[in-house]
Amino acid sequence: MPVLYSEVLLDHFRHPRNYGSINAPDISYESFNPLCGDRIRLQLKLDRATVQEARFKGDGCAISTAAASLLTELLIGTSIEQAAAISDDELISALQSDIQPARRQCALLPLEALRHGLREHG
Amino acid sequence: MARAEKRVAMATLVATRGTGPKREGAKMWVGEAGRILGSVTIGGCVDARVIAESEQVLSSSESRLVEMKLADEDAWEIGFSCAGDLDVLIEPIDIPEGKVLDLYRAVRAAVGQGRGAVIATSLKDSSNKLLLIEGGEIAGTLGSAELDRAAQSIAFESMRKRASSTVPLGAGALPVFFEVHGPPPTLIVFGAGHVAMPLVSLAHDLGLRTVVVDGRPRFATHERFPDVDELLIGIPSEIAETLSYTSSTFVVLTAHDYKYDLPVLKVVLPARPAYVGLLGSRRRGQAIKEFLRDGGMAEGLLDQIHVPTGLDIGADTAAEIALSILAEAVAIKSGRTSASLKERT
Repeated sequence: MPVLYSEVLLDHFRHPRNYGSINAPDISYESFNPLCGDRIRLQLKLDRATVQEARFKGDGCAISTAAASLLTELLIGTSIEQAAAISDDELISALQSDIQPARRQCALLPLEALRHGLREHG
Repeated sequence: MARAEKRVAMATLVATRGTGPKREGAKMWVGEAGRILGSVTIGGCVDARVIAESEQVLSSSESRLVEMKLADEDAWEIGFSCAGDLDVLIEPIDIPEGKVLDLYRAVRAAVGQGRGAVIATSLKDSSNKLLLIEGGEIAGTLGSAELDRAAQSIAFESMRKRASSTVPLGAGALPVFFEVHGPPPTLIVFGAGHVAMPLVSLAHDLGLRTVVVDGRPRFATHERFPDVDELLIGIPSEIAETLSYTSSTFVVLTAHDYKYDLPVLKVVLPARPAYVGLLGSRRRGQAIKEFLRDGGMAEGLLDQIHVPTGLDIGADTAAEIALSILAEAVAIKSGRTSASLKERT
């Protein structure tokens, strides 16, 4: 049974992977929660239709930061189609934590940035 | 005045004994053609005497230090409501070219860049001046390398306190006036919540420039912050990296949320502003410090955080909390203890 905040979640919060910005990204989108103030900017560098580099920057809670960090790991090396197909449940299960319904939006904030970014990219 | 006059006498209040209506650093300029600007007191016969002395300084082209000893009755009469003595340095200034004018031009440039600056002037020979700019630039001399070295730490402490004063310097206790210049003090508030609103209004009334940073456009609005000078919406820690922090910058974190507090403190603490206040309990503050410490932040940087922020005045409402925070910030800037004035000797 998943714990409230798993070791994986805490580790990604304390030591976020791929944190920072990409110079001249092909895709960049910033999502925010208007009430709690989490803000995550996700950026992708593409090599043809494959994600060559994925980075994020933002100030967010442990869940949204860890989710963004895990998402960048999931994205690197995938095709745009595969990236677009990453589901809510796939990202939430990667956190290995008991994400309560009220906190799902935190976990899904970086995914929202990805989906908007891909849509803008066409 | 610089446009209309070719020569002016610059009178500077360099020392007060007792209390007076103006602080050290107050200035009056008397032009060769008769124009007067500024004041070293609140008027009356002291300023009249300064004007008369200034005219003699312009005739002789020699600086002079004028010591004015006031009897109690005179002091009351002229509004110098607590009897005291004062020293006024009067120097001739050539316009548009001149060594002194060049120093003040350098000061103006530094202040324009958001940096503080101090002009240290020997009161035995006012042509000996040392300019120290926040960030390390130095020009001029007080007459010896030993004096210049001794002046540096006092200059930077004066800059931190934003207070001009005369200090005896070196083995010979040479009286040196440290004249502090700096950009207008700025309050940067991270978090546009309910405490931030009176904090910004009160800071505005105190003459501070105010900046509010938040990630939420619904909170960081001009409707909620009618007095704010700048509202910045985005990733707070990223915005924090773009702001400048000087010895006259106060930073207060009012979000009461680790997601802003941690990343913003990582940016702000190494920049060493005049004041860093963090809204929250002592326990919360310890947890925040522990996290930053684990991340490798030095203890000396963590010690800057005032948490809980503010003075112990029993603040309960948002406005009272704002008052308590600003009172503490002002006291720290001025190097005061925050004790009641009644207790002051």
